[in-house]
Amino acid sequence: MHCYVCFESIHSKTTWGHLFQLFNRKICLRCEKHFEKLQAEHACLKCMKPIEYHDGQMCDDCLAWKKRLNEDPLERNVSIFKYNDFLKDVMSKFKYRGDYEMVYVFEKDLQKAYVENFQNMPLTITPIPLSKERYEERGFNQAEAIAKQLNKPIVNLLTRTHTEKQAKRTKRERVFSENPFQVLEVKEGMNILLIDDFYTTGTTLRQAALELKSKGADKVYALTLIRS
Amino acid sequence: MNVDDYLTELSPLFSGRLLLKREIRLDEQLFQTLLQNNLFKEIRSIKKYIGFYECQRCFNQSSHYFGRLPDRTVYCKKCIMMGRVSEKEPLYEWCGPDAILDKVSQACEWNGVLSPLQKHASLKIVEAIQNRSQILIHAVCGSGKTEMLYEGIAHAIEAGKKVCIATPRTDVVRELAPRFRRDFPNIKSCALYMNSTEKDVNAHLVIATTHQLLRYKDAFDVTVIDEVDAFPFHNDPTLKKAVKRATKKDGSTIYLTATPRLDMKLKKSFQLIPAVSIPLRFHGHPLPVPKFHYIHQLEKQLKEEKIPADITDWFKNRKRRYLIFVPTIEMAEQVSVMLDHTPFVHAESPDRAELIQQFRNKKMNRLITTTILERGVTFPSIDVAIIQADHHVFDEAALIQIAGRAGRSHADPNGDVVFFYETKTRAMVSAKKEIVLKNEEGKKWKEETGEVEKI
Repeated sequence: MHCYVCFESIHSKTTWGHLFQLFNRKICLRCEKHFEKLQAEHACLKCMKPIEYHDGQMCDDCLAWKKRLNEDPLERNVSIFKYNDFLKDVMSKFKYRGDYEMVYVFEKDLQKAYVENFQNMPLTITPIPLSKERYEERGFNQAEAIAKQLNKPIVNLLTRTHTEKQAKRTKRERVFSENPFQVLEVKEGMNILLIDDFYTTGTTLRQAALELKSKGADKVYALTLIRS
Repeated sequence: MNVDDYLTELSPLFSGRLLLKREIRLDEQLFQTLLQNNLFKEIRSIKKYIGFYECQRCFNQSSHYFGRLPDRTVYCKKCIMMGRVSEKEPLYEWCGPDAILDKVSQACEWNGVLSPLQKHASLKIVEAIQNRSQILIHAVCGSGKTEMLYEGIAHAIEAGKKVCIATPRTDVVRELAPRFRRDFPNIKSCALYMNSTEKDVNAHLVIATTHQLLRYKDAFDVTVIDEVDAFPFHNDPTLKKAVKRATKKDGSTIYLTATPRLDMKLKKSFQLIPAVSIPLRFHGHPLPVPKFHYIHQLEKQLKEEKIPADITDWFKNRKRRYLIFVPTIEMAEQVSVMLDHTPFVHAESPDRAELIQQFRNKKMNRLITTTILERGVTFPSIDVAIIQADHHVFDEAALIQIAGRAGRSHADPNGDVVFFYETKTRAMVSAKKEIVLKNEEGKKWKEETGEVEKI
């Protein structure tokens, strides 16, 4: 078995327990150590932005969203990892270089986060789509790849028109950009879980949520891999 | 202008290259037209054999370096940092006219004088380039290998040949490139390594890490491989294939090494490859012979975060600046803490280039390093110590190379090399033996020719 991040072989003590566990391991312990998980206790209730002194409150960004849109279309976002240098390398290899199988590394953590936060809720899981152009360039949709790791049925409710990469825009440009999403189908009163790789300003997720809600969706949640 | 004229403008960008579509950066319609006119040839990038795949860019065959996209397309992870190749993403090879390099009449403007031994090797290299054959230069550390190349390279470039100097290490590329630019001011050159921003547009001379040659096919008339025995080149057969592919079928290959591995030694002794041996440094002084210094319970003392007294004494008695080699990254960190946070470098340290530069500029007195600095880098007038020279990462080649860091300048041809160890290893003994042997060979050469090497 080899690590999906550093490609070194994974060494493990030979016990019966490991015999079975070994086949599931996608990442070596050395690489795994570099991942930093977010702690829900010291974070904004809504978007999981780490805040030190306001336990059990919302961050300024989320309050600003509420003010701007009267009612925030996004119920809650759950993110798993902090964005550190190591994850930056991993994500650039996954997303921009196109190493699709890197996503298997996150399988366990994604399933755990889903069970802890969204278990037994009647949610329709839908990944944030890519525009057709971007999809062809990359060969896969990273949000869909992440959603697949949950091992739950996925429904594509949205499409997206081609715009510039989010990562190349400033915060202001992002927040006031036009809504690139179109709804394909939504049933009245549907509860939706959006899946994406990053929560940065929360614009993308809110744009999608806004569009879904205008077409009849009830509540929209989000599960993202990284809070940056 | 007709089509052919436009093609000669395109050829410098694509000739001798093996590229992905996104690296070609031409207008889609134009690209398709070129493809239909057989000016680009499509090459399947993942070849399927019975039971395994092979990446046609990096020659990787190990199954754990292959992955599948959601539509089951196979892609290669080993060379993914150069852009993904998959069964659906082919490589393209230029089939149009070959690029013609600009004419240069006086390529080299170096005014230095070669020592007689360097001169000898230099002539052999020129000969090999003229005959389009191979040659192995076995020259001790600090014998001035780079200068030996000058005449041959100048000769090749003036004859309109494209030259490549490939080395396994980025640091070496970064050190060589400015030297060549200084001494070959009239040519186009480019330095290629991971994250370098330079681009090869009809360059006469390409200085690259061996990995960068994966983007070339039948491109170079002369390929110089510096440090053939270094990691990752010597134990990665795929890189050897890549270098062979990048060189033209009738091109010449020059291998440079201070510490040939067994395969090269055998080839040399069976006379499968012509070889030149340079047993003396450019300044004519013998190599510093390493001193063995036994330390009782070295490993245990280090574990208890103690630096043995003998080692601290050695530090105290230094008149020159010095490098401290340690076997592992963890050890480098640990020793750094014990020595009042002396800076350390290793393969993954982000500020490596900067620290090396600072040490070279005499901004610091000592530097801790892993084997990353064992070769290719020159600091004039330093001493060298290895802590735990009996560790398995220090094989014979590594030890000879490390010992070769000392005494490299003409003004100060001696240097102190000491191996601190607990158990004497075969590698240590044979490294010392090899150094002594080379010194004897050099002495004999001096007596025979009656020449005292001096510049």
